This record gives sequence, structure tokens and C-alpha cells, in this order.
Amino acid sequence: MGAYLQPDTLDEALGILAREPVTIAAGCTDLFAATESQSLNGTVLDVTRIEGLRRIAKDATGWRIGAASTWSDVIAADLPPAFDMLKQAAREVGSVQIQNAGTVAGNICNASPAADGVPPLLSLDAHVEIGAKGGPREVPLAEFLTAPRATVLMPGEMVTAIRIPDVSDKGESRFSKLGARKYLVISIVMVAARLHVQDGFVRDIALSVGACGPVATRLAALEEALRGTPLAGLPDRLQPDLIASALTPITDMRASDEYRREAAVHLLRRVLDDLTLMRSPV
Amino acid sequence: MPDTLQTPAGHVRLGSNSGQPMTRRDGIAKVTGTATYAADNRPDRLAHAVFASAGIARGRVVSLNVEAAKSHPEVIEVITPDNRPALHLDPDGKSHPFSWRIEALQDNTVRYAGQPIALVVAETLEAATEGARLLAPEYDTDPARIGFENGEAYDPPAVGIGGNPSFSKGDFDTGFSNSEHRIGASVDTPAQYHNAMEPHAIVAEWSGDHLTIDTPNQAIHLARGAFAGYFGIPPENVTLRSPFIGGGFGSKAILVGPQILAIMAARMVDRPVKLVLRRDQMFGPVQHRGATRQKLRIGTDGNGLIKALEHEATASTSSFDDFIEGAGNASLNMYASPAIVARHSAVRVDTGTPGPMRAPGEASGSAALEIAIDKAAEAVGMDPLEFRLRNYAETDPASGKPFSAKSLRECYELAAQKFGWSDRPLAPGQMRDENGMLVGWGMGSALFPAPMFAAQARATLRRDGTALVETSGADMGQGAWTALAQIAADGVGLPVDRIEFMSGTTDQPDAGVAGGSGHTASAGGALFEAGSNAVQKLADLATADPESPLFGAGNTGVEAREGRLFRADDESRSESYADILERAGLERIDAMGSGGRDPANTEARAMFSHGAVFAEVKIDPDLFQIRVSRLIGAFAAGRIINPHLAKSQLTGGMIWGIGFALHEEGIHDLRSGRPLNADLAGYHVPVNADAPHVEALLVDEDDPYVNALGIKGVGEIGITGSVGAIANAVWHATGKRISSYPIHIDALLS
Ligand SMILES: Cc1cc2nc3c(=O)[nH]c(=O)nc-3n(C[C@H](O)[C@H](O)[C@H](O)COP(=O)(O)OP(=O)(O)OC[C@H]3O[C@@H](n4cnc5c(N)ncnc54)[C@H](O)[C@@H]3O)c2cc1C
Repeated sequence: MGAYLQPDTLDEALGILAREPVTIAAGCTDLFAATESQSLNGTVLDVTRIEGLRRIAKDATGWRIGAASTWSDVIAADLPPAFDMLKQAAREVGSVQIQNAGTVAGNICNASPAADGVPPLLSLDAHVEIGAKGGPREVPLAEFLTAPRATVLMPGEMVTAIRIPDVSDKGESRFSKLGARKYLVISIVMVAARLHVQDGFVRDIALSVGACGPVATRLAALEEALRGTPLAGLPDRLQPDLIASALTPITDMRASDEYRREAAVHLLRRVLDDLTLMRSPV
Repeated sequence: MPDTLQTPAGHVRLGSNSGQPMTRRDGIAKVTGTATYAADNRPDRLAHAVFASAGIARGRVVSLNVEAAKSHPEVIEVITPDNRPALHLDPDGKSHPFSWRIEALQDNTVRYAGQPIALVVAETLEAATEGARLLAPEYDTDPARIGFENGEAYDPPAVGIGGNPSFSKGDFDTGFSNSEHRIGASVDTPAQYHNAMEPHAIVAEWSGDHLTIDTPNQAIHLARGAFAGYFGIPPENVTLRSPFIGGGFGSKAILVGPQILAIMAARMVDRPVKLVLRRDQMFGPVQHRGATRQKLRIGTDGNGLIKALEHEATASTSSFDDFIEGAGNASLNMYASPAIVARHSAVRVDTGTPGPMRAPGEASGSAALEIAIDKAAEAVGMDPLEFRLRNYAETDPASGKPFSAKSLRECYELAAQKFGWSDRPLAPGQMRDENGMLVGWGMGSALFPAPMFAAQARATLRRDGTALVETSGADMGQGAWTALAQIAADGVGLPVDRIEFMSGTTDQPDAGVAGGSGHTASAGGALFEAGSNAVQKLADLATADPESPLFGAGNTGVEAREGRLFRADDESRSESYADILERAGLERIDAMGSGGRDPANTEARAMFSHGAVFAEVKIDPDLFQIRVSRLIGAFAAGRIINPHLAKSQLTGGMIWGIGFALHEEGIHDLRSGRPLNADLAGYHVPVNADAPHVEALLVDEDDPYVNALGIKGVGEIGITGSVGAIANAVWHATGKRISSYPIHIDALLS
């Protein structure tokens, strides 16, 4: 193993990134499992000590989840109901030990098709803030993830935060994950839904499905069809063909593509059931 | 059960120690980390070994970059087929029924993925790991043969260890064709891989031609002889220590190649060598439960009586050795039928050789049999419990012999009652819970033989009023260190805290194999007999001594209790062990014992533990996610030495049943033959949340024939019955019959 660098400031970190090729390490819960040799080769840049990077806060334009924030930090943070789905996902990432170490940013950078953080973040219209010596840039999460295990990050860059625009922190939300056992399990399918209701009508809706394609995806056509419709009977207006057409699941040892396609529809109906019930007058 | 036993010394009480729900005596040592496992040993000058694993399933290694590995500054030695020292025994030979063909770098062939192809010894684990990586093997690859369709079929000469590959009684064909109801069932079970919490590990150290090894082992003396054999030294020259085993389940009963390699390396580098398998290395060289493909046919008459039962099983084994799951034999001793046929065939595939895994044969066989029985009950239109009772075997169906004891009826009754079975609707798909989940109830019968192995023990009564009892028993978490000590304490007539119990090394007399659910009966019997023989010697001293209050009691006998001998006919006359020894001028008195079973009983009776398991599953009607919400079993297994430990063995087996039914599955890539899920993230076992309610009930059973103490076994039976009960509950919830394990959610998709 080469040098193990733990900078205190972002500037320092970006300087290192500009200088040499490094492996970025956060909670290491993906990195460790993916490393076949006994130790990492080359220089390791540990980003967890960078000042200000482990913070979840709101500013003028929206919410900012610092790149060193862990899943446990998300669970503990005081966030509006629109983030409930992210908290629910956080509780289902591995086990408590994993949640204490693993970061939200690590989850998206690792870019697994089954990353539990991605569907809720997609439904929050998350953007990824990328830092580099030459200056920052920001890309929507949906563009950040390009393929399994692939992102638009370039050498010399790192994720500094995940941003949620304040227009998207509205409404209530739900996450649901299907796995072969009850705990510590890789998702077969997961969905995240955010529903913003005004005067009994769907003002905004954001629906995402994970583990049903190379990257998790928003169901734009379905959302479009549901926007502006009455809350009453919303789950019944889910159109399976609009869901199916957005998904490209594969058959693997966890489940068949056919099963995934069906399960996604059921999970979506359930989270919408839940969200509508919650909104109905008692 | 009687709480005293007639022994040569007179009446010895069983019950002051045995029968008590003592907690594990080694519990504190384990939770505080003072209990040392093999890999915890760090002798001076220790070197570390890591083997390179084959990346192909069939072919030859054509090159290894030994230069690169050796050039690592901390690498000490690289062992390959080119420089490997000769072994005294052929690793491809089979010296006794418990020896498997192993990979000890005898040549460059690769017979399965994950096979050791070289060993690197280094100053540190890291360097050895890096050295193994630097070897960068190149192969000449032959196509892998994986799966029943692609393997090479043959008729196995034996199943399990020396078991009969076929059985037939009565006229199956006539019975079946004349039956009013006929059903068939096909059930596949996958390869399951040994994944005890503690992976295989060894620390080997030579001193001249004396070998000391720390390695978890379920049959210490047998292993001693086998290790000695490979290295051409007398067994006495081998000291094997295995005080604690982090789970064995059969995989640590048989020598495996990596152990031989580590010992070989220690001799080559003349230093102690440690080798610990990585989790992924558990998926090859340390045996697994072979896959099976089973077909059953059952014919019944109009009253639901079975007239013909046939159980065919094909099992997978490796290309170079034979261990055939005797799954079909699960149908020989459970249900009454005038005609029974069991047959086995085998298929060679390019995996490691299978071996015994907790309830080998019985688990896979029962998983299929219980589905077939349920289907037969359905065909007759009868409640599954009533059907099983109707076909209750009063004598052993295979041999016609009476059972030494069988309390299965009581098990059915107790568990059914606790479960609430009588409320079960006959037809499937009738029940829903408050959350709209489909609910199903299913059951299975459990059965496991009660074997015994040769075992010996020594008991020494000491003048300070304590005793030393010794046998080479194996505590693999099941609690042998506790239960055996309880029996030993009763044998010497002392409270358990006044005995010193030595076990787990070759320094003690041979406790036999901790396997086949026979350890408590075998080693316990030996301990008890050693104790009562020592007490007998003491009694001989006292009753012949005019100064003893027991003088002349030789004919009426004495009773040993709490460190005193009492006249059997006069409780007021007694003397302490210490006083008897003191007067005789003896520091100690000792005796050996071997226990065992009366051969006449072996000949005359069929001996099994029995049980009944009831399962409730809840299934999501849209997603088919299956949860076992309740699993309740009742078991009768002779005298229970420690109900606390016995229940934990039984619930452990039942939870394995959940794993078998819903999770465990070793998947090999059809092209490369490599395991696809060689880690615990991909190879699922149940987590706590998957087993919210698992309950084992004990049924009292007095078995006067099985052995002097009336002990059967509880180690393996918990899996049998449970797997089928879950599959049958899934049917009852959904109307879908299961044709392969583990039950995948997408298999329930219509
Ligand atoms: C036992 C176990 C169970 C798990 N269960 C789940 C689960 O249920 N659901 C799930 O989604 N995941 C699961 N994971 C995966 C993992 O825990 C999560 O993806 C976690 O969020 C990763 O975060 P990390 O901080 O540990 O990332 P790391 O392992 O530190 O990094 C992951 C990748 O991202 C890169 N990276 C990290 N931070 C940055 C940054 N700021 N900028 C650029 N690149 C960066 C690293 O270089 C690396 O390539 C599990 C892992 C384990 C070991």
C-alpha cells in the first residue's frame, strides 16, 4: 500500500487529487469488499476528516448532504417528510455497523445497480456537487450515474456533496425494499416515491425504481400521467405498461427479470397506497 | 425415566447433574475471549501460509510465477507440485472409510475451482497472501461439467459412508398400480457449503519427528492416526489439540488437503506454520452437501393407507471421489408401507467432493419425502397429520424390527397442540392475516438414527474429594463440554463443580467421533462407566475394610452421591470418598470405561430419535416474499442430559431447516465452474429476523435398549421434518407445490 492521506481541508484534498492518481476512501464498506488484494495499491485519499464535509444542512438554495455524511447521520438528521424515504433507505443499508461507516456519497460513487440510496435521491431530484482544483461543477444524479459501477467523475475530481433543491423537499415520501431475507440483504427491487399533494390533487410526484436496470431510474412518463390528477384513487391509476417500459431488469441468482418487473409494480402501488391513506381525511 | 441406574457398583443416581438445564460451562471463556480457537495460537517463530486457489474447475496448471512470489522480501517458501516433499500416504488413496481423496499438490491437475494449487509461506499473512497472488497461474482449461445434465452418471457402490445404495421390500409395482390414489413428486436440492463461523484453521509445529497441531477436529484420535499416516510417523508422535471448535457440522470430522499442506510446510521451513482458510476458500476443499435430484411415488388405498413407496435419488459428487447423499434412505424408517423401494444414482461434476453436512442424506431426503407425503394426504383428501398417524410405523418399516423406543405419536400431539393445528382448513389458500398476507400451515416428521461409536474415558477419584475425568471429546458449540461433564459427574457421584473435566486433545482417551448425533451417547457412556468403575473400586475398598461404616455391604451394594458412598439398605451408614482413600493410604484411584451398546440390542431393535415439526409461513400475495412466522417442533430423543442445550441444538437444526428451505444454495457458474456466491453476502443463511419464533419441545422418552444411559442424539434431527414442513406450509398458503429448494420467490409467480 502506498501513502494514506487524511487531509483536513477540501483545498488540500483537491490539491492531492490534482497532483496524483489516488483511490478515494470514505467509509470503505464498498471499497473493502471490492478489494481483492490484502491492501489497497497506490495512494489512498481518506475524505472523512475533511472539515465541513460531514454535515447535513439547509442553505438558500436547498439541502446539502456533505460527502462524508454517513447513513446514521441521515437517520439522525432533522429533515422534512420529503426525506423520509431516504431515512427509510438508510435504515436498510446493510446493518447498523455498515450504516455507521458507510456514506451516502460512497453509495452513489460506487454506482451499484442495487444501491439503496439512489432511488430516494432520484426522487428528491438530487444533484451531485463535484469538486476539483479547477473549480466545482454540479450534475443531476440521473446523469452522474452512467452504467453499473460507472459515473461521470473524472480523474482529479471528487464528490463534495449531494444537493437537494428546495423545490424538491416538498411532500411526503416512502421507500420500500424487497430482499430475499429480512436484514442485511441486497435489494431485488426497491422503489422510492415522493408525493406532493395540494387541495386534493397531485401537485408533484416523483417515482424511482432500483435494481431493475443498469442504473436506477425515474418513471418520468408515469409521473407525467399522474401529475394534476386527484389524490383519490391514485394507486389505481398506476399504469403497469408505463412502469415496465422504463425498466430493463435482468435475471440473476436473486430473481428473474419477469419477477422484478411485476414486483416493481406492486411495490409502487403499496407505497402510493400508504402515501394516499396517510393524506385522506379520517 | 428412572433416576438411578444399576451399575456394577450398585445404584448410581442420574439426575443430580444430568437432566439439569445447566448453562454452558465454557460460556464465560467464550464471551470474554479466553477460549482459544486454533487460529488464536501464535507460537514463537510462527510463519503464515496461504494457498493459491484454482481459478478454473477442470484442467491443468501450466505455469506459476514462483520467481515473482519468491522475490517478495517476506516470502519464505513456495510449495508447488515441483518441489513438494513426498507424503507417506497417497493423497488419492483411501486408507479408511473416513478418508477422502485430498489435494496435497500431488500433480498439476485441477479438479475443481478453489482447489489448492500452490502454497506460499511467509513471515506475515499479508506477504503470504501477496505471494499467492503473484503466482499468477496459467491454465490449460478443459470444459467444466456442472449440473446434473452435464455430469457423468454412474451407479454408486455405496451412499453416505458405507450405506446401502438400494433397498427393496414387497412388490412396489403391484402395490402402486393397485393403489386407489397415486402421486409422484420431484424435488431438487442444491449444493450447500460448509460455513461454520470458524473457518478451517491449523497451526502445525514439528519437533524432530513429533508433530503438534492445533486444528478444530470432530474426531481427534481418528485424525491423529490419519495425520500420522500421511507423514509416516507413529500416531503417538502426534499431539492434536482442539479444545474449542467454532462449528463443525461434519466438515471438521474429515481431514482436508489444506491441513496436510500446512503440516508439510512446517516441516519444510522448520518453523511453526499457521494456515486459516478465507471464507471463499470454504467453497471447495472442505466438502459440502452434494446436490440431489429426487423422485418419489406413493400409492395409497381408499382409507389413506400407504401401499407402495418409492424414493429415487440422484446425487452429485466430484470427478475423483464419492460421497453420495443417501437421500432415498430417508424413506426406509419413517412411514409404514408393505412395499418400499429406495434407489440411488450419482453424477460426477467438477466441484470439490461432498461430505457429511449436518444430517447428511436425512436432511435432503426428508425435505423431499415430506412433500410427497403431503401430496399423498392431499390426494386422499385427508389432514396431513391424520394421514401421518394413519401410516404410523409401529415397527421399523425397513427391517420389521421393533423400535428401541418411539414416541413420535406424543411428539405429533404435543407440537400440534402447541401450534394450534386443529384449526387448520384442509384446502390451501384459505387463510390471511390482519395485513393481508397469505398464511399457510404445514408439517413434517423428523427422524434421525441413534448411532454409537467406540469411545473411552478415564475417571480418577482424588483424595481431596474431587475427581478428574478425561475423554477426547469435541465441543463444537453444541455444549459437549457441559453435557459430558454432567454425565461424568453423575458417574463419579460428585457435583459437577467438583470434577475437573479434561477434553479436546489427544492426551485424553479416545472419545470417538463427535458426529452422527452420537457423541453424548458414546463419550457420555464411556465417562459414566469410567466413573462407576472407579466408584466400584472405592466400594471394594470400603466394604472390605472393617473400619468402614460400609464394611460388609458388598452384597447389598452401595450408592454414590455427593462424594459419599451410602449403604443401599441403610442410608445412615455412609463414608466420604476422601476418608476411604485416606485410610487406604491412596492419593487417588482411577478406572477406565468404554460404555457402548449391548450388541444383542443392536441386533434386535431399530434405534432412532423422532420428532414432529409444524410451520407457519406468511407470504406476500403480490411479491411472494416468504417468512416463516412460526416453527414449532417436538422431539423425543431418549434421556435428555441437558434440556437447555438440547433445545438449543434442536432449534439450531430447525433454523438450518429455514435456511435449507428458503436460503442456502451454492451456485456454480455453468461455464467456468466457479462458485458465484462464495461469501456470506451471496450465500444466504437466515438472520435472526428470519426466525422470529422457533420453538423446540422435549418429549420424555425412556429408551431401555439404546444404551445404558438411554441417550439418543439431538444434533441433526432438527433439520429433518422442518424443511418439508415449510415447503408444505408454502403449498397450504398458495396452492403451489415446491419442486426445488431453496424456494425462490419467483418460483411462486404464476
Ligand atoms: C455487509 C455490507 C452490507 C451492505 N449492504 C448494503 C445495502 O443493503 N444497500 C446498499 O445500497 N449498500 C450496501 N452496502 C454497500 C455500502 O455499504 C454502501 O454502498 C455505502 O454507502 C458505501 O459508502 P462508503 O462510505 O463505505 O464508500 P467507500 O467504500 O468508502 O467508497 C465506495 C466507492 O466510492 C468512492 N468514493 C467514496 N467517496 C467518494 C467521494 N466523496 N468522491 C468520489 N468518490 C468517492 C470510492 O473510491 C469507492 O470507489 C453494504 C456493504 C457491506 C459491506
